[in-house]
This record gives sequence, C-alpha cells and structure tokens, in this order.
Amino acid sequence: MQNRQFIESGILESYLLGLASESEQVEVKRYADEYPDVQEHLFDLDKDLQEFFLINSVPPPPEIRDELELLVGKHELQKNGTSRDSGNKKRVYTEEKPKEDYLEIEVNDTHIRVHKLWRPAFFVIFLLSKVFLILALYYFFKTSSLEEEIGRLRQQNIEIHKK
Amino acid sequence: MSDLQHYQDKNLLHSSSAGGRSEQLALYDKYSSMAYGIILNILPDPKMAQEVLLNLFASSQLRACDSYPFSYAGCVIKLARSKALEAKQKVASLSSVSEDGEDTQVNSPDNIFDLAFRKGLSIDLVAERLNISRQDVLKGIHLFFKTNRQS
Repeated sequence: MQNRQFIESGILESYLLGLASESEQVEVKRYADEYPDVQEHLFDLDKDLQEFFLINSVPPPPEIRDELELLVGKHELQKNGTSRDSGNKKRVYTEEKPKEDYLEIEVNDTHIRVHKLWRPAFFVIFLLSKVFLILALYYFFKTSSLEEEIGRLRQQNIEIHKK
Repeated sequence: MSDLQHYQDKNLLHSSSAGGRSEQLALYDKYSSMAYGIILNILPDPKMAQEVLLNLFASSQLRACDSYPFSYAGCVIKLARSKALEAKQKVASLSSVSEDGEDTQVNSPDNIFDLAFRKGLSIDLVAERLNISRQDVLKGIHLFFKTNRQS
C-alpha cells in the first residue's frame, strides 16, 4: 500500500527526468534498494519515458551528422597529437607524419563559404555598377541629342549662307 | 529498453571512447532524432537546436551515460534537456527576454510538465507559480505520463 502511494506520487518520474531534489533522489534509491517492485516499476517507467520521447522525435538534417563526423575526427586528431607530444617530447619532427593524422573528407556540398565581409563588398560593387550604368546611359543620350542639335545648327548655318 | 540493449549501448560507448568514430556516429544514428525532438521542444529555433544537438553528441558528457543505471536513452533524454536549457538560459541572458508570466494559471498535467521539463523550472518554482503544493506538481508529472501511456 505504501509502495503504491510512493509509485503514484510522481517522484519516480521526476527522478528519471532529473527533476527530483537531492533528498528525493536518496529516497528513491532507498526504496528501489529495499523494494523490488519499486525497482521494477522504475525500469518500466524508464521504458515508458523512452517510448514517449521516441514518439515525439524529430529527425535532424543530414548535414549535422557530417558536421559531427568532422568534429569527432578533429577531436581524435587533437587527442592523438597531444598524447604523442606528451609521451615523446624528443620527437624528431623531420619524420613523415603517419597517415592516420590526416582527416579524410568527402566533399559532397555544392555550397562554398566566404568571408562575411564579402556581403557588403558585393553590395557596394553591385550599387556602383548600377550608378555607372545610369551615368553611361545618361551621357550617351545627352551626347547623341547634342550631336543632333549641332547637325541641325549646321544645316541652318548653310541655309543662311546660301541666302 | 532491455538489459541486453543497454549492454550493447555501453559496448558502443566503450569502443567510442577507445577512439572509434563510427561507434560514436552509431550512437548518434540511434538517438539523435529523439534528442533533437526534446531540444526542439525547449529551443524552437532549428539552428540553435542543431548546434545543441551537435554539442551533445560531440561532448564527453555522453560518456557519463556509461554508468547510468537505467537505459542509455534515459540518460540521453536528461543530457539533451540540460544542454538545451543551458543554451536557452544563455540566449535569454543575452537578449534579456523572459517568458515569465506566460500561461501560468493552468494546473493541467500538460502545463505542469511543460513548466518543469521544457521551461526548466524547479518543482518548487512550478508549485509557487501555480499556487499548488510540491506533491501536486509531482502528481501532475505522474498524471502526464499516465495519460500519455493510456492514449
């Protein structure tokens, strides 16, 4: 009866989720050690919690796995490097590096990474190109209208001289 | 999860700490969806959630699951939650945005679970917010899982 109350109090769920206080954790451990049915219920609950969170699971984008692969490889490399350095300080650095020090990367990404300053630089270049285009068109039309005006004035001049 | 399953996961981790990259990735393949679901519940921004997920599976803290007495998944659940809450607190302190005062009056098991698990409030704080006793909060969490089990 006492165990049933303990099980239904919600303390076991809180314990498994990491929400229980220290005194509650001690209490749960004591009960689990003392009463096999409480321990069994704890294992059942653990299974239930797992099922609940599995139902609500969301697959992450595949790129994250690639990033993790690189990250883990990098960590391994650093670990190997430091352990080798500490273990053999008089290492001769002229020798060829072992092949496992190199990280094999398979690039299947169609994107490139550029410095963040490229964005304003590209914007400025784009803006300047538009300004120059407008200026070029403006002067082109201005010159052609002036040429027409000169031609017309020349024609007038010739007619005046003829008279 | 069966004892055999836990044993297999422990073995995976042992080989992972011994330097097996593929074993660490195997753990990721097995638990990343579940962890990502938990993290997204706490941090709705997918970019941030992905960072936390990456951090979780690359961290050495995952090795602590080796000595966890229950299922490996249970340990991942706890770790995913704590990492997501940690990131959420960092973001909240940077942007000084607080969610205080949001839907605090409903005493439903769903709301109790939401405040305690997803929003990271302690049991005492949840009790204070909802004007109920600590026992009622624990009971609410129990009812939340009981209802989910039955449905």
